[in-house]
Amino acid sequence: MGQPLLRIDNLSVGFRTARGLIVPVQGVCYAIFAGQTLAVVGESGSGKSVTALSILRLIPQPPGEIVGGAIHWDGRDLLGLRESAMRKIRGREIAMIFQEPMTSLNPVFTIGDQIVEAVRLHQAVGSRQAVDIAESALRDVGIADPRRRLGEYPHQMSGGMRQRVMIAMALSCRPRLLIADEPTTALDVTIQAQILELLQRLQRERGMSILLITHDLGVVAENADVVAVMYAGRVVECARVEDLFRSPLHPYTGGLLRSVPTLRSTEGRLATIPGSVPNPARLPSGCPFHPRCALTRELAEKAGAEEAVGITFDDEPSRVMKKCVGDDPVLRDVAGGHWAACHFAPGHGEGEASRPELDHTRQVPMDMTSVEGAS
Amino acid sequence: MTGVASQSVEEPTARPREVPLLEVRDLRTWFPIRKGVLSRVAGHVKAVDGVDFDIQAGKTLGLVGESGCGKTTVGRTILRLIPATGGSVRFKGEDFFAYRGEALRKLRRQMQIVFQDPVSSLNPRMSVGRIIGEPLEVHGIAKGRERDERVAAVLKRVGLDPVYAARYPHEFSGGQRQRIGIARALALSPALIICDEPVSALDVSIQSQILNLLDDLQKELNIAFLFIAHNLAVVKHISDEVAVMYLGRIVEKAPADDLYGNPLHPYTQSLLSAAPEPDPNPTRRRIILAGEVPSPANPPGGCPFHPRCGLARKVAGESGGGDVVEVTIAGKSERLPSRCVHERPPLEGKGSADHVAACWYAGQAWEGVPET
Repeated sequence: MGQPLLRIDNLSVGFRTARGLIVPVQGVCYAIFAGQTLAVVGESGSGKSVTALSILRLIPQPPGEIVGGAIHWDGRDLLGLRESAMRKIRGREIAMIFQEPMTSLNPVFTIGDQIVEAVRLHQAVGSRQAVDIAESALRDVGIADPRRRLGEYPHQMSGGMRQRVMIAMALSCRPRLLIADEPTTALDVTIQAQILELLQRLQRERGMSILLITHDLGVVAENADVVAVMYAGRVVECARVEDLFRSPLHPYTGGLLRSVPTLRSTEGRLATIPGSVPNPARLPSGCPFHPRCALTRELAEKAGAEEAVGITFDDEPSRVMKKCVGDDPVLRDVAGGHWAACHFAPGHGEGEASRPELDHTRQVPMDMTSVEGAS
Repeated sequence: MTGVASQSVEEPTARPREVPLLEVRDLRTWFPIRKGVLSRVAGHVKAVDGVDFDIQAGKTLGLVGESGCGKTTVGRTILRLIPATGGSVRFKGEDFFAYRGEALRKLRRQMQIVFQDPVSSLNPRMSVGRIIGEPLEVHGIAKGRERDERVAAVLKRVGLDPVYAARYPHEFSGGQRQRIGIARALALSPALIICDEPVSALDVSIQSQILNLLDDLQKELNIAFLFIAHNLAVVKHISDEVAVMYLGRIVEKAPADDLYGNPLHPYTQSLLSAAPEPDPNPTRRRIILAGEVPSPANPPGGCPFHPRCGLARKVAGESGGGDVVEVTIAGKSERLPSRCVHERPPLEGKGSADHVAACWYAGQAWEGVPET
């Protein structure tokens, strides 16, 4: 197995607040290999975006601070680089696109001005050549009549078109890694399908890696090679996409998968996870998922009195396993390339505590039928 | 066994249809486009342009479509939050648009709405008790202690502790706030609740809690829902019947299982194929629709879907050329059936009376049909 392109190693990120230091990212590990799509999935407050922003060192310091860990990019630790060296990596080697393209584009400059600025910042080219690069970048993302579009302002474009412009700008310097933070959440499904297909095509053509941050399990299933599930600032499960959806080993992942209605699911009540995501300033002790966990409740019912303990969550009393309240479970490889951080995940007792690294790309690409026509 | 014979005599051949709770006919909501110094009306954005449907008591109609298709405007026009340009809405058989003053207020009590954003739809300066209790006073239903008791009961009904009545919206999580929004709608014992994207702003693990709550409330209280959403899987889960909107009109409507199992309109087929499913090895084929929804201020003539339609292209490709016309779409010359370009297809029954679609070639197989 070769070296990963990006390796996040036990990263902890904190924020100083009036009530002291809160640490929304606690000991996160994941790795991305060349040409791979790693999806980081989690709900709001899981720390998935803070981790991604830390890669580009975009966390404002203060109030933010890196509490510990390292971020290895192609052999170098990004956290130790000078700001001037970091600026050479941002945009040129690692680029990022965000959820809301309207707030990421400057409304008073034309699309062309903005792409040309990005190109000239990172590449030693003249202004005429930069315009040509900008034009071909727009063409690459499927924008018709790119020369004319360069003269337009962001408000003249639809949401899907603006997201294409963001992608064009991010990819104009041919980065090796694209960080896409909820890139299609604000878009309609038919436009989402267009954008995701575009990202897949560009990835194939350029061998680019993608860090895809999303809460949408459907987007994960259809686009990721490897998936890391985050909860309360940690990676709680990491596996090949096929393994994760076939046999989720962390009860949070399983609960999420069961609670989502699908086009094929039949009527009936949806499974639910009780309560909501905890506030990072007031995390539960031990395993942060224990107050909401169905597995620990089930086990506590059968367990002896000395193994279980009573808790109150959302004003409801229940019994859970003592171990879950007392110890924070470590992420362990429990099934040959399938990591889980749960005391009671099958194989967790014998599993090796290691960093999740999977050099895996999915086998079956999706069958696409593009309707030719207006674009 | 005399029952057999007498039954066939007494049973009427067609049972008289129950009056639907809500009957929407030819509903139109147009917004004027004003131009120039005199603000002359230069045209209209036809946000809703001739929508028909019924909702039976205690049932759910799902209304799906992409942003800008008019689904939210339909909900608001029914409640008269936006004035209708034309058409009618009958509620329990009464012409709702004809009501004025006190009579209108009385009828309105029975129609409530739950909004998408649980943050902006609750007044941050009001306690939860006042948010839920105020409608009870406004409608003269309860005040003082009786009101507080009803607030407590309805909070409990949506799974919140009645002591929360004294707290303010910012003290709650997104899921809890949506429960408060539902409690406010429930307080007046409505017969119909219009749910406008009630779960799309919520975290995945919270969505299912709210969907189950809505399910339970419907079963217990026989409330009808108009469930407006863009998430096709959520709509399938909650709806008895589903209508798909495109550019201000319904293009297909059918019982939920029919619509998802046998989509007939090429737009419905594309939407279903584009929705990502949590399955890494999907067997279905994905149709990537080209282009975007055209502006409702200037919709295409004929069938409004023709510039993006894959089925129309296939039909044109197969026909000898007699009824095919050449049109320019986004700078490209395309061959399409003349009918699709020039005549608007009516919404009519295809196969069965309750499965309607607005497409000249609805139901024809083409390579884009999702395999489920």
